Amino acid sequence: MYQLVFSPRWFFGKDVIIDLVTVAALFTIFVFAIKYYKINKNKNYLWFGMAFLLMALSFIFKIATNFTIYYNVWHVKQIGPVLFTYKVLKKSDLLFYTGFLMYRVLMLLGLYVLFTRYIKQNNYVKILILYLLITIAYFSDYAYYVFHLTSFALLAMLAYHYFQNYQNRKVVSNLLLFASFALITLTQIIFVFVFYQPIFYVVAQMVQLVAYIMLIITLIMVQNYGKKKRKK
Amino acid sequence: MARKRERSDIILDMLTIIQNKGGRIKPTHLMYKANLAHKQMKGYLEDLIQKNFVKETKVKDYKYLVITDEGLKFIEVLRKMKEFERTFGL
Repeated sequence: MYQLVFSPRWFFGKDVIIDLVTVAALFTIFVFAIKYYKINKNKNYLWFGMAFLLMALSFIFKIATNFTIYYNVWHVKQIGPVLFTYKVLKKSDLLFYTGFLMYRVLMLLGLYVLFTRYIKQNNYVKILILYLLITIAYFSDYAYYVFHLTSFALLAMLAYHYFQNYQNRKVVSNLLLFASFALITLTQIIFVFVFYQPIFYVVAQMVQLVAYIMLIITLIMVQNYGKKKRKK
Repeated sequence: MARKRERSDIILDMLTIIQNKGGRIKPTHLMYKANLAHKQMKGYLEDLIQKNFVKETKVKDYKYLVITDEGLKFIEVLRKMKEFERTFGL
């Protein structure tokens, strides 16, 4: 029997709010990337936007699975007969596992699409890596930490790229972007340990919240850039 | 080696040059300052006029290019886009 929910009961609902902030940050980047794609027709923007859309959708699936659990808990309390309660649980389990699978698949695909914006690869390599990522996402049901370790590997490379970008252009927005990706990378390692202690889930979610708030601040700084220039 | 200017870079350069000249410039001055060939300049200018970012006026028999409010707003959008590009290393 495998376990997919590691959140302490008192943290139910709070993690949904954190995930909603995450979706807001990721979806905003997608919207800007598509807006800029429409202006300059550069496909790099389109794929960059799609990467963030995939990640935003993955978190929407994660949020949906959380609601499935809450629905479950509520039904167990309200309905008396044991047999009836059992049937409802089974249906919710299916939704829950499908949702979690979609979360993992979309997250790994999103990270990989973002990765390919910076590290160019030929189509054979892309197909092979996509196959491996989908396989990892599917079998992570049995060893959840494989998903987090794979996300960690992709995120670490992205964070390193943003660090190099910051080295070339030492401005606050680039530093914030690097810091936010470094923190998102860190969350993946913390998530690996939730099996041992549920409090790690809370810690990882809190770090995630800080990381995505930093990402939102980065976006605000980028959006204020044009205005500042005009005032000068 | 400096990277080749993209279309959006050239448009931003052209609009910024007009803006820095007080919103009005002679076409030949714009061509030299934006470092463009005559044919290139004509193509870009047609596009800018069609999108109402720039309009042509005549003052004492001299032709001038004037940046519109839409043009000024578009400069802001392009600057944000370029900053977005630099920040995310695209």
